[in-house]
Amino acid sequence: MIPASTQQLAAFVFFAVMAIVSAVATVAFRNPIRNAVGLFVHVLALAGLYITLSAHFLTAVQLIVYVGAVVVLFVFVIMLLGPASEPPADSAGRLPRIVGAGSIVGVGLFVARVVADLQPARPDATADFGTIETVGRELFGPSMLPFEMASVLLTAAIVGAFAVARGYNQGKVRMSSSTPSDASEGAES
Amino acid sequence: MILQLGHYLALSTVLFTIGAAGFLFRRNVLVALMSVELMMNAVNLTFVAANRWQPAVASAAGGASVVPHHGHLFAFFVIAVAAAEAAVGLAIVLAFYRLRKTVRTDAADLLRG
Repeated sequence: MIPASTQQLAAFVFFAVMAIVSAVATVAFRNPIRNAVGLFVHVLALAGLYITLSAHFLTAVQLIVYVGAVVVLFVFVIMLLGPASEPPADSAGRLPRIVGAGSIVGVGLFVARVVADLQPARPDATADFGTIETVGRELFGPSMLPFEMASVLLTAAIVGAFAVARGYNQGKVRMSSSTPSDASEGAES
Repeated sequence: MILQLGHYLALSTVLFTIGAAGFLFRRNVLVALMSVELMMNAVNLTFVAANRWQPAVASAAGGASVVPHHGHLFAFFVIAVAAAEAAVGLAIVLAFYRLRKTVRTDAADLLRG
C-alpha cells in the first residue's frame, strides 16, 4: 500500500511537469494553434493541481471558465485570422531576445529556489474544505458585494468587447469601396 | 519527502516567469495574451496553495474552528477578471488586425510621436 503522502507527491510532480512543459509550449511554438493547445493542457494541469490542494470548487470553475470559454475564444480568433495569426519571423534581434528570456527565467529559478524552503506545517483538511457548498456560502455571505461587482465587470466586458470588435462605421453609409490599407474604414475587412 | 507549501510556490514562480518571458519576448499579440493568462494562472496557484496551508481560526458564530477560503475567493475573482480581459483583449486584437492587417505587436505604433 502506497502511503498517502507519496501519492500526493506523485500527483503534484505529474501535474507540475505537465504544467511547466505546456507553459513552455504556450510561449515557444510559432504556430498559434499549438500555443492554444499548450494553454489548454496548461489549464488542465492547473485543475489537477487544484485537486491536490482539495479546492474542488475552483477546479470546476477553472475547467468551465478556461477550457469552456477562454481557450475556445483564443481558438476562435486564431481561426478567424487564419494565416495572418502567424506573422513571418524576423531573424533580427533573435539572440538578444533569447538571452533576455533566459535571464528572466534564471531570476525566476533563483526566486523559486528561495521560496521552496518555505515549509510551514499543514493543517489537516476538513471534509468540507474547498467544496462547492462552503466556498459558495462564503461567496454569497461576506463576499456578496465583490461577487455582484464581478457580474457588473463581466457585463461591461461583454459590451466593450462587442463595441470594439464591431468597429465604428457599422451602419453608416459607405462612401466608396476602400483599399485594405485605408485605416479609417475600420469595419471593412 | 512530504509535499510542502514551498513546492507549490516554487512551481508557481517558474510558471509566472515563463509567462513573463513569453509576454516580453514574443511579438505575436495572441501569444502575448496567452502569456498573460499563464501569469494569472500562476498567481491563482499561489492563492490556492497558501489557502491550503492557512491555519484554522475560531468561527464568528462561536462554533468549531474553520479555515476561511479567502484564497479560493480571490482566485475566483482573478478568474472572472481574466475571462473579461480575454474577451476585451481578443476584441482589441480583431480591431487591430482590421487596422494594420497584422498581429505583430511592433506594428502598433499609431500613437508613436
